[in-house]
Amino acid sequence: MKSSRRTSDERDEKKSAASPVRISGMASLADVFRVLNQMRDSGVVTEYAVGGATAVLFYAEPTRTYDVDVFVTLQECGAPLQSIAPVYWWAEEQGFAVQAEHLMIYGVPVKILPSFNPLVEEAVIAARLERYDDVSVRVVGPEHLVALALQAGGARRRERAWQLLQAGVVDRPQLTAILVRHGVRAEIPNDV
Amino acid sequence: MSESRNQIEVEALARKREWHQAQARLPVREKVRILLELQRQDLPLIARRRVLKAWERPWDVTP
Repeated sequence: MKSSRRTSDERDEKKSAASPVRISGMASLADVFRVLNQMRDSGVVTEYAVGGATAVLFYAEPTRTYDVDVFVTLQECGAPLQSIAPVYWWAEEQGFAVQAEHLMIYGVPVKILPSFNPLVEEAVIAARLERYDDVSVRVVGPEHLVALALQAGGARRRERAWQLLQAGVVDRPQLTAILVRHGVRAEIPNDV
Repeated sequence: MSESRNQIEVEALARKREWHQAQARLPVREKVRILLELQRQDLPLIARRRVLKAWERPWDVTP
């Protein structure tokens, strides 16, 4: 399942970026995204997708954030709760520090969030493959970002959902279908 | 008087909407540059109101 979704671009990146540890020069956000691909390629997670405010950057106006949310799916192990400890172990093996719940990847705090409900899992599976410089990065699509923000609730997330809607990047029928499928109740006026 | 005031408000809201839409159309790399700038401006202000968490720092990366 994992390999069938990968493009030749992604496979080329894996070959050209043997080590996630940068030796010289200041890292860029592209380097952080490259590490996410390496994390997936190593098998420590089965798939990932960037979510939250960092994902919004790909579709709407810039919004404040101080960390990068990354949703991941993990190998089924039969247990009711799945541990993401192996992700932290993998990161430490690559030389990245762990601070509280964040992996510090080239100084960028990355929060790994296991897919904790069917909506998140669907968002990861349906994520879009975007380009950032020379790196392919999987990003949660705008419809799922709105649905996730509305499901989680809170003023900041609702504002994020409205930003995406106002940017005109959301397929409204698709969003409605997602909300219905996952039982997320929300009134979205047509003029937003 | 109030009609012209309404007109000014309508125009101001339209300009605001246009500005937001223009921001949304920027290249992603430019949006990341803006985000990094926002972090550098905001975090010292937040630090005056509360203690920052260890990971709440401007990202040490280029866009």
